[in-house]
Amino acid sequence: MAPSSPSNTASQLSSTATENDLQPFFVLHKASPRRKDRTSAGQGKSRKRNKLSPRLPHSAKKQEESTDEECDRYLCQQQQIEAFDIVWTKIESTIKDVLRELNASVFNIIQKWVQECFNTTRLVGEPSISVATRSFPVLSNTTPGKLYSALVVTRNIEFVDDIMTFEELGIFLKSHGCHVAMLSSMEFSLKNGIAGCLKALLREFLGNSFDPADISALASWYREQENYNKPLVLIVNDLERCCGSVLTEFILMLSEWVIKVPIFLIFGVATTVDAPRNIFPSHALECFCPSMFMLVTPAERMDAIVEAILVKHCTTFNIGHKVAQLLRNYFINQDGTVTSFIRALKVACLLHFSMEPLSLIQGRILVEDQEGSSGLSPETLLKCMHELPSHARNIMVDQTNESMAEGLSELVTVQKLWSTVVLCLYEAGKYSRVQLLDLFCESLNHVLYPSRDSVMSDEKDHGLSSTNDPFQQYSIMQSGGLICQIARRVRDLPPGKLDQLIESWDKITADISEIHEKLKILQSSVRCQDGKSSRRSSKDINKRCDKDSRMSNLQAIAFLDDLVRNYLRPIEGMPFNEIFCFKNVEKLQSVLIGDPRRRIQVDLLEFHNILCCSCCNKSGKGLLPSRHDSSIMYSLAQEHGDLINLHDWFQSFRTIVLQNTNKRKQKSKQTPLSKKRKEMNGSADQNEASIQARFCRGITELQITGLVRMPSKRRPDFVQRIAFGI
Amino acid sequence: MNDNENWEEEEEEEEDLEFSRNYFLAKELTSSVKKSKHKITDIDVVDEQELREASLHIQPKHEKEIAVLIDSYAAVYPEWLLSLRCGFALLMYGFGSKKALIEDFASKTLTEYSVVVINGYLQTINLKQVLIALAELLCDQVKAKRKVSGRQPSSTQSIEDLLTLLYEVEVEDSDSFVCVVIHNIDGPGLRDSETQQYLARLASCTHIRIVASIDHVNAPLFWDKNMAHTQFNWCWHHVPTFSPYKIEGMFYPLILAHGSASQSVKTAAIVLQSLTPNAQSVFKVLAEYQISHPDEGMPISDLYSVCRERFLVSSQVTLNSHLTEFKDHELVKTKRHSDGQDCLHIPLTTEALQKVLLEIS
Repeated sequence: MAPSSPSNTASQLSSTATENDLQPFFVLHKASPRRKDRTSAGQGKSRKRNKLSPRLPHSAKKQEESTDEECDRYLCQQQQIEAFDIVWTKIESTIKDVLRELNASVFNIIQKWVQECFNTTRLVGEPSISVATRSFPVLSNTTPGKLYSALVVTRNIEFVDDIMTFEELGIFLKSHGCHVAMLSSMEFSLKNGIAGCLKALLREFLGNSFDPADISALASWYREQENYNKPLVLIVNDLERCCGSVLTEFILMLSEWVIKVPIFLIFGVATTVDAPRNIFPSHALECFCPSMFMLVTPAERMDAIVEAILVKHCTTFNIGHKVAQLLRNYFINQDGTVTSFIRALKVACLLHFSMEPLSLIQGRILVEDQEGSSGLSPETLLKCMHELPSHARNIMVDQTNESMAEGLSELVTVQKLWSTVVLCLYEAGKYSRVQLLDLFCESLNHVLYPSRDSVMSDEKDHGLSSTNDPFQQYSIMQSGGLICQIARRVRDLPPGKLDQLIESWDKITADISEIHEKLKILQSSVRCQDGKSSRRSSKDINKRCDKDSRMSNLQAIAFLDDLVRNYLRPIEGMPFNEIFCFKNVEKLQSVLIGDPRRRIQVDLLEFHNILCCSCCNKSGKGLLPSRHDSSIMYSLAQEHGDLINLHDWFQSFRTIVLQNTNKRKQKSKQTPLSKKRKEMNGSADQNEASIQARFCRGITELQITGLVRMPSKRRPDFVQRIAFGI
Repeated sequence: MNDNENWEEEEEEEEDLEFSRNYFLAKELTSSVKKSKHKITDIDVVDEQELREASLHIQPKHEKEIAVLIDSYAAVYPEWLLSLRCGFALLMYGFGSKKALIEDFASKTLTEYSVVVINGYLQTINLKQVLIALAELLCDQVKAKRKVSGRQPSSTQSIEDLLTLLYEVEVEDSDSFVCVVIHNIDGPGLRDSETQQYLARLASCTHIRIVASIDHVNAPLFWDKNMAHTQFNWCWHHVPTFSPYKIEGMFYPLILAHGSASQSVKTAAIVLQSLTPNAQSVFKVLAEYQISHPDEGMPISDLYSVCRERFLVSSQVTLNSHLTEFKDHELVKTKRHSDGQDCLHIPLTTEALQKVLLEIS
């Protein structure tokens, strides 16, 4: 990791092809003896250095300094990795728990189904030992091999989100005493054939591969004492992607053996329940005895994850408004998978720790937090800060320390209040099907926050007389956006539902005394309204009741409005938020979503901006011969249609490349025209060859980037353009 | 916020429209402007040898700026290392050869990890050999630590088994991995979907990290969401270098070098080697005749009689079937001689022909 000088790398880069370049693969180097105790060695060394340094010669000192620097960097990276590991492990396990909880009920039902099916098959009659150990299938006339199969509808066309779910299902069933095999659509391919499937099946159940694979091996394995009496479950997580004919053959084979090998199938179905009908022919369909189960929708999963990770904050890691918007847009417009959303969070987390030195205390905070007290005390924070390497190096005044710790702990308090408000809003938003992700994005918008305040004061100044609707006095009803939508829904909630809502708020705010007190007031006044309406006689009940309930709604709105105004403060605008809050949206976008199609074209067309060279920048838009050859060629290609005539392209390239030499010659040597021409002819041959070679190389390079396609036999004089517009 | 979003959406739509508009404009341009009638043969191409020579000695431009640009990437090496150590893979893209850059990164920063380089720009790569080498490296590391010999990888194992072995290798130190550098993961030798699947599975092994480069603008289309998000787990890095694709471009024919000799020798030899020995011998007869009589073709009747004498064919029908095969592969063409007779000739230079004969003998 020695620091490099420009000439160093450049010379390496310009070295010509070596033998290794033509090897399909080679070992660049083996791991050097481990640094294992490099940290301690480094520290020891630095201590020694302090003693010895005056006597060391200059060069040795310099070297030592560089190794010290390296050690520092190494230590820092070690801490980054630790912090990332701690935080991400926590987030990941939380996500797993959340998903497991979501799936628990379906998994339980499926497990019961397996058990019931198993009992039914055994009722049909167990084969006697002599029958069962024969190496051919048992077929009884009463049930010609019915295969019990579960169609688990994923309600999600993206199978990548469900891979995990099915793995979890497998583990769940295993823990409930089933033998489980997982096969993917890759196994059911034409190339693999039935033999490949069987081999994979045996490997899954028996643990090792057999050649040639034979299902009787499975039957005899199943007869063994420890395996018997447990149902066999085969999970195929993406039915639609399997090759129909191979799967059909496989199913038919299994159905012949079903009495000796009681196997139950679980298919993940992404489209509709009709999927099997599209895949299997009728004689295979007859073998099935299907049941149907539903998984939760991706939107529900998304909401649950956002709630646990980003709203309830299982760790202190947080994201800024713009980052949240990027993730949301990426989810909604581009990718649509929960997996990629989680991955994006992971990348954000990595970048946060790699770019923000102070973020490292998060890992320590989390560890301390788990060890004992919940909630962050200023002392804990202070302690963590003391342990920071950056802190050790330049010790601050005690007072600053304390005020900083207070600032940090305020940050944590504000964040907690913020999450409670978001949860309250979400609870209310459930009546109007608001997605938490959207609400989350809106709540993070700190630009919204001051405007709400000013709107409020304006309203108060104007007085309420301007409008008859008492609801309009609350700014929350006017702000527009999701929060306003939620408030409107609360306004129209019938009394029963309103009570339910207030009850759920009660649970959410239980830990936060500040808000909980306000809720208590709301509850008591609502109760009071209820009491009034119940005492009233039935005559004027309708009218009064309506008015009273509207009063309750009004109070609920007032409560929400109060929360939003006072507590919905995203931490993004506060001091020290950088420690917890990742905000670098550009960096995240570039690491997360590569855009080679656009970026490579931009590289070519705006070559001079990237290289920051002075010569190519000069004359505005004209193509200068000093530009990179491929860049000139690609710029020229823009003038053509979807087909580029090679001859024309070459000629224009040649003109541009020669433009400079002509000019230069005119300037430097003011020779008569004839002499100049003569000179040019002299080097013309050589020139010509080199221009043609450059043209060829340009085309090769564009071909490597896939921007042009080579001439076909039908059109030998044209290449085809592939990309149109950036 | 809504306004903002709408605006963004509109902008996106606008971009989409712009894209399709560009496409149709380009199409229109072709039909409206009279298609250029110029032929590639109109270019006064210099001698092929000279062209090749010149292409080896192209003066590089902007050497200084490029060197500065490439050196600027050294500042982010620690960031790349961090991504690798945290379990991500690196995907480098941008114009210019990234081979030297990545190897420089690997040899400077990844000294504590074994590094295997796959040259994806080559035509054929035996993935199994790579997997064996990787498994051996990993097993060595395990052995060095535990002093116990585990399962040994061998060439008799299938790719499937090797991947399972790699997946299950247990290394105590979680920060110990073998880094696999793949130059041009979109290269011709790795382009098929099966190989990409295997690479994705390789990438998902706990103790393997991938650093790969792509050059083709459409390379991401290789990967479905599972491969890209969970198996490879890419961190994208835009690192244009503008260095010439020297080695990567070595296997592309020079567009101005027609019927480039080396290329046709190679293709001709490959075709011939796939034919029967008799067919090869028939071709040899024809080739020898052409070498001794460079200016004229060989009449079919002459070829038939020579072949019969040497017991290469028994009838005109067999000879014709051989000739059809040759013609299909453009190894032989028919010319009408001035006296009206159909003559056969091989569209290769004498030198090339001699090389072909050497290759197949």
